[in-house]
Amino acid sequence: MAPWRHFKDRAATVVISAGGGAVLMSILLIFFYLVYEILPLFSAAKIELATEQQLQLTAATDAAYMYIEEQGEMSLILDTGGHARFSELASGATVLYQPLRQQDSVALTVVSAEAADSRLLGLGYADGTVLLASHEYRLSYPDDKRLITPRIEYPHGDDPIQVAADGSALALLALRDTDAGLVIAAQSTSGELWVVRYTKEENFLSGEIELEREELSLNLPRKEYAALYLGTDQRWLYLLDKAGAYQVIDLNREDVSGAQQLADEGRLFADGSELSTSSMLLGGISLLAASTDGELSQYFMVRNGKEAALNKIRSFDTGGAQLLQLLPEQRRKGFLALDADGQLQIFHTTGQRKLLSQSVDYRATQVAAIAPRADALLLMDQNGKVSQWDIDNEHPEISFSALWTKIWYESYPEPDYTWQSSASSNDFEPKYSFAPLAFGTLKAAFYAMLIAAPLAICGAIYTAYFMAPALRRKIKPLIELMEALPTVILGFLAGLWLAPFVETNLTGVFSVLLLMPVGILGFAFFWSRLPVNLRTLVPDGWHAAILIPVVCGVTWLCFAMNDSVELLLFGGDMRAWITQDLGISFDQRNALVVGIAMGMAVIPTIFSIAEDAIFAVPKHLSYGSLALGATPWQTLVGVVIPTASPGIFSGLMIGLGRAVGETMIVLMATGNTPIMDANIFEGMRTLAANIAVEVPEAEVDSSHFRILFLAAFVLFMFTFVVNTIAEIIRQRLRVKYGSL
Amino acid sequence: MTIQTHGIDMEALGRQPAQGLDDAGLALKVEGLSLFYGGQTQALFDIDLEIPRQRVTAFIGPSGCGKSSLLRCFNRMNDLVDGCRVEGKILMDDDNIYDRRIDVSALRRRIGMVFQKPNPFPKSIYENVAYGLRIQGINKKRVLDEAVEKSLKAAALWDEVKDRLGDSALGLSGGQQQRLVIARTIAVEPEVVLLDEPASALDPISTLKIEELIYELKSRYTIVIVTHNMQQAARVSDMTAFMYMGKLIEYDSTDQLFTNPGKKQTEDYITGRYG
Repeated sequence: MAPWRHFKDRAATVVISAGGGAVLMSILLIFFYLVYEILPLFSAAKIELATEQQLQLTAATDAAYMYIEEQGEMSLILDTGGHARFSELASGATVLYQPLRQQDSVALTVVSAEAADSRLLGLGYADGTVLLASHEYRLSYPDDKRLITPRIEYPHGDDPIQVAADGSALALLALRDTDAGLVIAAQSTSGELWVVRYTKEENFLSGEIELEREELSLNLPRKEYAALYLGTDQRWLYLLDKAGAYQVIDLNREDVSGAQQLADEGRLFADGSELSTSSMLLGGISLLAASTDGELSQYFMVRNGKEAALNKIRSFDTGGAQLLQLLPEQRRKGFLALDADGQLQIFHTTGQRKLLSQSVDYRATQVAAIAPRADALLLMDQNGKVSQWDIDNEHPEISFSALWTKIWYESYPEPDYTWQSSASSNDFEPKYSFAPLAFGTLKAAFYAMLIAAPLAICGAIYTAYFMAPALRRKIKPLIELMEALPTVILGFLAGLWLAPFVETNLTGVFSVLLLMPVGILGFAFFWSRLPVNLRTLVPDGWHAAILIPVVCGVTWLCFAMNDSVELLLFGGDMRAWITQDLGISFDQRNALVVGIAMGMAVIPTIFSIAEDAIFAVPKHLSYGSLALGATPWQTLVGVVIPTASPGIFSGLMIGLGRAVGETMIVLMATGNTPIMDANIFEGMRTLAANIAVEVPEAEVDSSHFRILFLAAFVLFMFTFVVNTIAEIIRQRLRVKYGSL
Repeated sequence: MTIQTHGIDMEALGRQPAQGLDDAGLALKVEGLSLFYGGQTQALFDIDLEIPRQRVTAFIGPSGCGKSSLLRCFNRMNDLVDGCRVEGKILMDDDNIYDRRIDVSALRRRIGMVFQKPNPFPKSIYENVAYGLRIQGINKKRVLDEAVEKSLKAAALWDEVKDRLGDSALGLSGGQQQRLVIARTIAVEPEVVLLDEPASALDPISTLKIEELIYELKSRYTIVIVTHNMQQAARVSDMTAFMYMGKLIEYDSTDQLFTNPGKKQTEDYITGRYG
C-alpha cells in the first residue's frame, strides 16, 4: 500500500501546486499582455534614411513645394518655373511633368497649401492672380499590382482669380476652401493686403455651384509681413511679421470704418526675439511659431467673454535651436521642426512631448514634405538631392501630463480634464485624460459602497450573531444567491426601470433612505417597551421577521406620501426644485441610481465574507464575554467585531474592488458622460465602462486602442494596489486580533 | 489519623480534610431541574441539589453524564444553545434564576464562569481583566488599575505579568491564560464561580497552580467545579456530586463520598470500574 499512498500524496501535491501556479501565471500573463500593449505608447520616435536621389534641377527651376502621396511611393515637386513633376520615389523616374498654368506663362511667385492635410494648392503669380490646383492620385490594380496615376485638377476652373487688383506680384498667400465658401488672403509685393471671399451658392435649378465674389478691406498699416494664415472656419486671419508681432483680423465683423475688425494684436515672443518660422497646425486652429532664439510655442484664439484673443498655450523645448521650418503632420496634432544645424525634432502638441531629436544633415534645405501617414519624410537640399526618411512614430499622443493633468485643448476657454476619443472630423484634437474616468470610477464605487457597506455589514452582524440558526440557514444562501444574478440584468433594470422610477419618485426614494432607519429604530424602541409577555412571544433570533411589515409599511408610506410631500416641500416637483432652486443639474441616469443598483450587486459579496468572519469568531470568546455579564450587544462590540474585523475589512475591500471593476451596471445606468462632478444627481463614466464602450470601435493597434489598454492597466493596478493595502491592513489586524 | 479512601490516599494529597456543610449558608438551590436539548433529548433528569456558600463543590461523573450541562444551568449559558429547554428551578437568594423577569446579564455578573479551554480575548492582559468592569460602565483608570492588580494577585498571576500588562493576552502560556481568565472572572466580584474542567487542557504544573488557586479562592467565593479527574475533585472540593446518565446519583461531602460512597454506582466509578 505504501507506494500507492506515496503516489497519491505526490499526485495531490503536483496537481494543487500546478493549479496555484497556473492562477499566478495567468494573472502575470494578463499583466504582461497589458504592458506589451501599452509600451509602444511611451516609446520615442525613430527615423532612418531610406533612399537618396539626385534630381535634375536647374537653377531656374528650383523646387517651390514638395509632397509625398499616401502610399509613400510618389512625390510631387513644384518648381519655380510653374511645372509640376510627379516622380516615383523608388526609381526617381518622372511619371508626369506638366505646366500648371496652361493658357499663358506668368512667373509663379508663391505656393501655399490650403491646410496641413489638404491637397489643394494656391498658386500666386507675378500678375497678382491665384490659381487653385489640387493634385490627385488614382489607385488602380492592373495585374494585381498597385498603380498610382497622378493628375492635376482645377476645382475652381482653369482661369486664375485676380486677387491683387493692382496687378502686382503676390508675395504671401493663404486660402481656405470649404463647402460654404472660398477665402483667399494675400500680400503683394506692393505691400498691399488683399482678402477675397467667394460665397458658394448652389443654383437649385441646375445644381451648379455659383460663386459670389466679395472683396474685404483691411485697415492696417502698410508693412511687410512674414506669414499669413487663415483659420479653418474662415473667420480669423492671422498676420505675423518678421519682428515677432501679430495681428488677428475677424473676417466676420466690420468696424465702424467698414474695414474688417482687428480682433487682437501683440507680440508672439518677448521683446527682442524675432520670428524665425511659423506654421498652422492640423485643424487650422493652432498657430506654431518659433523665434530666432529657439523659443517654440503654440497659440490659438481663446474666447474671453465676448472678445477672443490669441493666447500662448504651451511652449516646446527645442534645446535653443533656431528653427528654419515647421512641418505639421496631416493626421495628428504633431509636427516636425528642422533647424539650421541639420537637426530634426518631432513634437506632439497635446502631450507637450518631444519624441525625437536627431541630425538629418539637412543644411540649406529648400523644401521638405511629410507623408500623410507621418511615416515618411522627404527632404531636398539646394543641389536637388532628395533624401527619403522612414519615420517610426506610431503613438506620439500620450504623456503623463496628457493623461493626468489639466490640458488646454484647442478652442477650450481654459485647461481642463476631458475624455473625448473621437469626433466627427478627422482633424480634431483627441482628448485622452484619465482624470474624469478615474473620478467616475471612484464616484460610482463610493456611492455604491455608501449604500452597500452599512446594509451588508449590519445584515452580516445580525445574521451571524443574533439570528436564529434555523432562519440563518435560509437567509444566508438566499443573499449569496443574489450574487449569481447577472449584473447585466441589474444594469438593465437600473437603466430602464429604476432610473425613471427614481426620477418620478425622488421624494419617495429620499424619504425611504431617511425614514427607514428611523422607522426601524422607532419600532425597536416601541418593541422594547412592550410587556414582557408579549415580547417573549417572538423567540430569540426571529425578530427580523416582525420587521418585515415595518419595512414594507415604511416603504409604502414613503411612496404613498410622495406627491403630497413633494407638493408641501418642493412646490410639487422635487426634480424641478433641485435644478431650479438649488441649481444642481440632474440627469435621469445618475450616481444615486448607480449607487442603488451597484449597491445591490456588491451587498452579497461584502455580506458573505463579513458574515463568515463574524460567525467564525470562536463561540468560547463570546461565551467568555457573556459569562462576565456582558449583554449580547456589549459582547458584539467589545469582542466579536474586533476579532472579526480582519474579515469584515476584507469583505469591504473585495466589495470595493468589485464596485471599481463592475462594468455592466455602470455601462447601462450611468449615461457614460465623462464628467468630473461629485454631484449625486449626475452620471459618470468609469474606466471599465469606457473600455467596454470604446474597444469595439477602436482601430486595433491605434493609439486609442492602446490607450484603452492603458486604462485597463490603470484599473488593474488600482485593484492591485487596493488589494495589497487591504491585505497588509488585514494582516496587521489579524496579528492584533488573531483568533484563537 | 489516616483516612483511607477507595484508592485515594487523602493524606498523601496534602490537603486539609474537606469542610463540612455545617457552618455554611446556601448559595444555590436546585429543585427538580430537567434539561432538554432539541425538544426530544433529555440531558438532565429531575436534579435536586444544594450548593453551600464559600465551599468548593465538585461534579464528577463519566463523559456525557450531564455535569457540564448542569453547571451551565447555573448562569444560564444553556440559553445560548439552540433548542434548549429547562424545567424546574434554581434558586439564588430565593429567586428563581429562570424567572422571566431575571436580567440574565446581571445574573451572570453574580455567577461567573471559567471554561475548559482558556479563552482570553484578543486584547491586552490589562484589558482582559478590566473588560468585565468596563462593560459595567466603569472606566476610571484608578479604579480599573486597582481592580486589575487585585484580581491578578488573587489569581496568582501578578508577579508573572506585572511588567507586560499591555501585551496581548494571547502571548501567555495555557496555564497563565487560564489564570488570567480566572482573574477576569473574579474582577467583577461574583458570588459564585463556575469552573468547567478548568485544568483539563493544562499540563500537570499548571494544573497544580490552578488547584492551589481554587483552594485560595474558596475563602471568598462559592466555587462549583466540574472535573473528569477524581483526584482533583478529592483534592480541591468540600462537596462532591456524582452524576451518571443525567441523573444525580449521590451528593455528599467529599470525604464521605470518596471514603464511604452510599451507592454502588459511585463506588464502581471512583474505584475505576467505568468512566
